[in-house]
Amino acid sequence: MPRTRVAGGNPAGPSRVRRSLALVAPAWVSRPFALAIILIALAGFVLVCKGLYVHAKAMLGQHLLETSFARGIGAETAARPWPWADFTTEARLTARRLGRSEIVLSDAGGEALAFGPALLGGTARPGDEGTAVIAAHRDTHFRWLRDIRPGDLLDVALRDGGAATFVVREARIARADASGIDPDRPGRWIALATCWPFDAAERGPLRYIVEAELADETAATTEVAVIGSPGTPTNGIQPSVALR
Amino acid sequence: MLEDDDFLLASPPRVARSRMTRFAALAMVACCAIFVLMITGARAETRLAGLVRPNDVNSGSLLLPSKEPGFFVEAPRLKTDVTIDVDGPILRAKVTQRFENPTEGWVEGTYVFPLPEDSAVDRLKMQIGERLIEGKIEPRAKAREIYEQAKAKGQKTALLEQQRPNIFTNQVANIGPGETVVVQIEYQETVHMSDGAFSFRFPMVVAPRYNPDPIVQTVDFAGGRGFAVTNPVPDREKIGAPVLDPRENAKINPVSLTINLAAGFPIGEVKTPYHEMSESDHADGSRTYRLKADTVPADRDFAMEWTSASGATPSAGLFRQVVDGKTYLMAFLTPPSAEGAERPPREVIFVIDNSGSMAGESIRQAREALALAISRLSSRDRFNVIRFDDTFDSFFSGLVPATPDRREQAIARVRKLDAEGGTEMLPALKAALEDQGKMADGALRQVIFLTDGAIGNESQLFETIARDRGQARLFTVGIGSAPNSFFMSRAAEIGRGTFTHVGSETELGEKMKALFSKLENPAMRDVAASFDGGISGDIAPDPIPDLYYGEPVVLTASLPGDITEGAIRLTGEIAGQPWRAELPLDHAAAAEGIGKLWARRAIADLEIERFSASDPEALDRKIEALALDHHLVSRLTSLVAVDVTPSRPNDEALGSAKLPLNLPAGWDFDAVFGEAPGAQPSPPLQKAQGGAVQRMAMADTRMIAAAPSPEAAEMTAASASLTTGVVLPQTATLAKRDMMIGLLIILFAAMLFVATRMLWGTYAPDTDSRRR
Repeated sequence: MPRTRVAGGNPAGPSRVRRSLALVAPAWVSRPFALAIILIALAGFVLVCKGLYVHAKAMLGQHLLETSFARGIGAETAARPWPWADFTTEARLTARRLGRSEIVLSDAGGEALAFGPALLGGTARPGDEGTAVIAAHRDTHFRWLRDIRPGDLLDVALRDGGAATFVVREARIARADASGIDPDRPGRWIALATCWPFDAAERGPLRYIVEAELADETAATTEVAVIGSPGTPTNGIQPSVALR
Repeated sequence: MLEDDDFLLASPPRVARSRMTRFAALAMVACCAIFVLMITGARAETRLAGLVRPNDVNSGSLLLPSKEPGFFVEAPRLKTDVTIDVDGPILRAKVTQRFENPTEGWVEGTYVFPLPEDSAVDRLKMQIGERLIEGKIEPRAKAREIYEQAKAKGQKTALLEQQRPNIFTNQVANIGPGETVVVQIEYQETVHMSDGAFSFRFPMVVAPRYNPDPIVQTVDFAGGRGFAVTNPVPDREKIGAPVLDPRENAKINPVSLTINLAAGFPIGEVKTPYHEMSESDHADGSRTYRLKADTVPADRDFAMEWTSASGATPSAGLFRQVVDGKTYLMAFLTPPSAEGAERPPREVIFVIDNSGSMAGESIRQAREALALAISRLSSRDRFNVIRFDDTFDSFFSGLVPATPDRREQAIARVRKLDAEGGTEMLPALKAALEDQGKMADGALRQVIFLTDGAIGNESQLFETIARDRGQARLFTVGIGSAPNSFFMSRAAEIGRGTFTHVGSETELGEKMKALFSKLENPAMRDVAASFDGGISGDIAPDPIPDLYYGEPVVLTASLPGDITEGAIRLTGEIAGQPWRAELPLDHAAAAEGIGKLWARRAIADLEIERFSASDPEALDRKIEALALDHHLVSRLTSLVAVDVTPSRPNDEALGSAKLPLNLPAGWDFDAVFGEAPGAQPSPPLQKAQGGAVQRMAMADTRMIAAAPSPEAAEMTAASASLTTGVVLPQTATLAKRDMMIGLLIILFAAMLFVATRMLWGTYAPDTDSRRR
């Protein structure tokens, strides 16, 4: 190619990038162009890093919280995982069938959700009368929520040593400001909430809500009986059917 | 020159190159376009089509449960007729709406309607087909029981419940196929008085029932009118109107309005800013107003404002009604504005929470609100800003005059605030209330507190506010979707200020502006009312809030027995001077509805008291008794109506409705959407002429649940009763989007690189020759 030869004759361009651009254009165009392209690529790179950082924080956060939670079990006051944190570790949530476990924090809102699922203020304590609401990000800690099915068992271990098992009853999709979750609902419930749809890139107003009721002793031990139990509502979790 | 010649004599390699140039340029344009498309494409919001939730509804509408849990289909509305009687200070509105059950089965519908916050709903009438049912007031649980029983028996029945102070729902069971339902609601409220003018508003904005919808976008709209196929608008208020053509809208949702205005004084100018009205005078000085066009589309609220003839608008009024041996009073009085008195200088202390719980949207809103507030200060005011997380800082060492320099300095610092750390509110609150030095004479001290209220030591904070507030007023601004409203409304109440909740960025500007302009124009403080002349009774509200410019004191009172003597005495302070007024009871004019008005306000006061009461159940009993006595719908009482004759045959289940096979004329799903709704093929062309709105209505109708079961009805009620519904936080990170965009940008850079290479490659020999 003739231009290769031309570039070869061009003495300017000690750096590799410059030389490679100088291959295609004379010196007076190459510099701003090279710079612009490098800047654009860099901006993209920064954005990718930003995204990766969110996931890194979520993973590392859970790791740190795990130790903090283990340390805090049975302690008088709630432990802050690190001194400047605005939240405490409150519980461990385990989805038995999926083998997933997350440390639940005290205050959903603000920065807590970046590190783990969190209890929503103004709702019940898990295992108490009413509904306890736990929210987490759909692309990190509650990614597995889509795989939850009616009858699945959720274990909640509390900081004070208490433990409870819940049976998943149903899932639904609602707007964040019209969730229909009643914190004073009769019975003992937990509601797990995350954004919906799961694969969307943008934030939206819809939330995916899984509601689970405290299991009685027999239900907790014989899983099969729960799945087939007549108490399971027909509008169970079938996102593909229930929603368009 | 040489280059030009060369270029003109396009030799074969040149042609190839110029092709390459074109290709390269095209590639560049294409990749730019793809890039832009992908970025904007990622924005598209997920939304369920054609369906509404009770929360979306901002005018009365009949909702039928749909296949989507929690979502509803709005029954096509046929006509709305509104009669408003203004009698002195009281307004009584009668809203009649006719609906039709478009399905082939028996359905249960929920009718949702918003009303002004202080309105007292006391009557429900329902005409189903030929039957007229009048509602009776009952305790809420009992009313529901009566309703459920009647529903099970197949009787037509209706239940009117309060969901929030300004949202009511009305459930109607056993509406037959194709039957018309007429709902009539009556309520009363006080005429609003401000700045010497009297006014009221009637909400009638259409619900956003036709959201732009993915299905719709596949249809050819060349001939269709009235569709604005735009991206869904986040601003809910604006959704309804642009979608419907006003002419179409008027047909499907016409409103006729009649207003009988008996102001109680010679009427001067009457304004209806959004509608044209015709006027007719009566002998007794009252007037009747009707819409010039017989009916109007319900696309904007109706507002009316009137003044007195002489220009000297009455600044005081006293009305009475005797109900069941008790005297009820309503009084209003506009205090004189201190003539020529300057606005008192203000001492404003802003407290902003920048703890970790505010991270994200909340801190952005708080920063913006605070910057707006600071920029509105005048140079006579003094101010300070305190930020806190687990530590706190004052921007200045005490109150400083709000000079332009200082304001800018403070705003710049506010904009840099980041949310992290714990929440230790007490020291900051103490600093705001205690450490700001003595109040200047005649000044007005206001503490404005911006937080999400994520705290644990509420009682300690309340104590501090009660003890240290002194002459200061505490205004709380709740930021974010789930602020601790209990803490903030209670704190404001103890601090004798108000609580403002800012839920989203869109409403931030408007709400803050309203708050600040109020704070800038104080009129009277320390207002108190008492009886004079040996009589005693209850006065609501208690305590009376501060007054801001143009606002009158509005009081209601109840007295045991039929009393015509004595007086109400009002005291207060205007611009540092004591103020006193007396309203003698023997001059009171008789008026209807005063008793209900008093009861409504007494209930509202009790509801606030309930927050902090040690025995909320005792208060609940009080509220229930009051509401039952006055035939009012409240949180604890509902209106229930049952038709004694069963209308649904026993063998037909409620809600066993099939999908509507038999479509009303002009409604054809097939023609519009290219999908057969059932076994009925129909001539598509003629039907396609039907109004676009009707097609949409058809789409809606199809969404009605095949079997509105009792569960579905319960779901309706559950979704409608969102008084306690938990507001969920944002649970999506932008990680995925960021990474996607990032990769796209890198791809873009790579393509740009290749494209430039090709582009410049084409011209390279030319430049060579120039160089040589």
